[in-house]
Amino acid sequence: MAFTRLHTPKGTRDYLPDEVERYRSVEDELREIFGLWGYQEVRSPTIEFLEALSRGVGRGLVDTIFKFQDFDGKILALRPEMTAPVARIVTTRMLSVPEPIRLFYMSNVFRYRQPYVEREREFWQAGAELIGCNTSEADGEILSLLVSSLRKLGLKEVRVDVGHASLLKDLLKATGLDDEKQGSLRNLLAYRDEVRLEEFMDQSSFPAGLKEAILQLSCSRRLDEVSSISLGSSEYGNADDHLKSLLDINDVLADYGIKNLVFFDFSLVRKIEYYTGMVFEASVPNLGLPLGGGGRYDDLIKKHGKLKLPATGFALEIEKCLRALAAQGTQMSQKTKTKILVSSKFRNAALEAVTALHNAGVIALLDVMKGGEKKIVEYAKLAGIDYVVFVDSSLEKPAKVHDIRSDVSRNELIESFLQSVGGSS
Amino acid sequence: MKRQIRIAIPSKGRLKQPSIQLLQYAGIDILEQGRAYVFQISDSRFQVIFARAFDIPVYVHYGAVDVGITGHDLILERESDVHELLDLGFGKCRLVVAALEDSPINSINDISGVARVATEYPNLSRRYFQGLGKQVEILELRGNSELAPKLGLAQVIVDVCSSGETLRKNNLKAIATILTSTCRLACNKIAYRTFETEIKELLDSLRQGGM
Repeated sequence: MAFTRLHTPKGTRDYLPDEVERYRSVEDELREIFGLWGYQEVRSPTIEFLEALSRGVGRGLVDTIFKFQDFDGKILALRPEMTAPVARIVTTRMLSVPEPIRLFYMSNVFRYRQPYVEREREFWQAGAELIGCNTSEADGEILSLLVSSLRKLGLKEVRVDVGHASLLKDLLKATGLDDEKQGSLRNLLAYRDEVRLEEFMDQSSFPAGLKEAILQLSCSRRLDEVSSISLGSSEYGNADDHLKSLLDINDVLADYGIKNLVFFDFSLVRKIEYYTGMVFEASVPNLGLPLGGGGRYDDLIKKHGKLKLPATGFALEIEKCLRALAAQGTQMSQKTKTKILVSSKFRNAALEAVTALHNAGVIALLDVMKGGEKKIVEYAKLAGIDYVVFVDSSLEKPAKVHDIRSDVSRNELIESFLQSVGGSS
Repeated sequence: MKRQIRIAIPSKGRLKQPSIQLLQYAGIDILEQGRAYVFQISDSRFQVIFARAFDIPVYVHYGAVDVGITGHDLILERESDVHELLDLGFGKCRLVVAALEDSPINSINDISGVARVATEYPNLSRRYFQGLGKQVEILELRGNSELAPKLGLAQVIVDVCSSGETLRKNNLKAIATILTSTCRLACNKIAYRTFETEIKELLDSLRQGGM
């Protein structure tokens, strides 16, 4: 097979009408619910200065950013995610807007990956950010909006797993182990290998109380369960405060009625580094990858300006949501609208009919082929058209309506035909 | 929602038999052998799928199967984000850099210029040499990389070595160890959340089976 530049580059693709329609229906649902919750949409440029995009996101993500040079030598990049652009927008353009600020976005993002690991390099995210507030109510709202959004799409058995970025960091640090050993401990927690985790801790010399706490946290699956864990030591950074903040969030979730959908995962880490508080991932049983996630990031916005603004938010991958819906056998409610092709030897009459159909909110196409009746019907069959209407010299006269599905023609006035296809006038 | 737990095990090679045995000890017998890749087994709660050990990390990562038996080295090579619930102990091996017995290369530092490295492990090799600040040209092969030095295709290879027998047979010597590995029970992260009870039962029977 010859290489041709008419293909799209690895990890990118075209979206044909059917797929765009599915994407749109997800986007429309999300836009509606984000809007109802008072979130407002923002857009940012696809290309930005590398420096603005890479602040605080961490080496791992920076390595995946597509970078290139502007004509004046500055380094530009394609956005790998949307939280940093939103942070930049808030600190540079929205200084006079009272906090908390609720924003959302729907954007394509870009990540370079080794072509060896075949993954998408351009994909679409929908996300919401609640900025300027560090209460558990804010975190609870974000989690609840996440759950409500996924449910609105028609997904069943949605669950969210919550961890805490600083709790894990502080406790690892408190062990006093060197970086390599801390890395091993973090890996063992992520592996969920409880036997080796215990062995490893038995062989390490850090306080027994801390070992006990780490084991207990690692075994806890519900936010409630962490209440029984006592760290009782100020040597563990702010670990006690972090635990308490998780319990506070749990209380908020109880009031939202989604406590039973939210689980605790001590080992949960996100690939982006700016998180300081709760971190989470949403999933459904039928799909092996998370649909999206997010968390609290209280220090990121300060890196973009003078303001220290605490914030919390999430991003969903639209493709994954669609795949999850397909895996659950749920079709997005496709608005199947009747499609009508209008043809006539009398162009002004045809145009008049098309306009009348459009005004009634019905999809109508004007025949531009100037072929014979047979050819037009043939095209209509292949193009997914429901009716072909052959209009006479005026709309006063009955038109010949050809029902493509039954392949039967009848003579009918446009006005009564309009009523039969559910036109709104 | 309850459905069968899907377990992937290696379809050939040195990890296949120990994997089948391990499941047997745990009370899961594979009843039907044949040309199919999905097998009937004695315990209806599970389904066994045979796959290439190299691909099992990918299957698990994407959730095509819930758990899989595969090497730690392969999980790292395929950059799969999975739980490693259990170190199964068997399939012990080292990922080594090796050169011909009579080559002047006795350690990594002896590699001069831009050496060509033949390997089935391009990712781990690239990362290893990058970490050392060594420039190398990675040549990805599908198996039998031990042939490459003899044919002058590459100065060194990166490959797994369990007893050292294959290296010796091909007049190769290990000059550095990149990592040591054993077989793991890998688990899809979402599957673990959804089926923790069932998967823990599997873990318990594997442990009781005298693993």
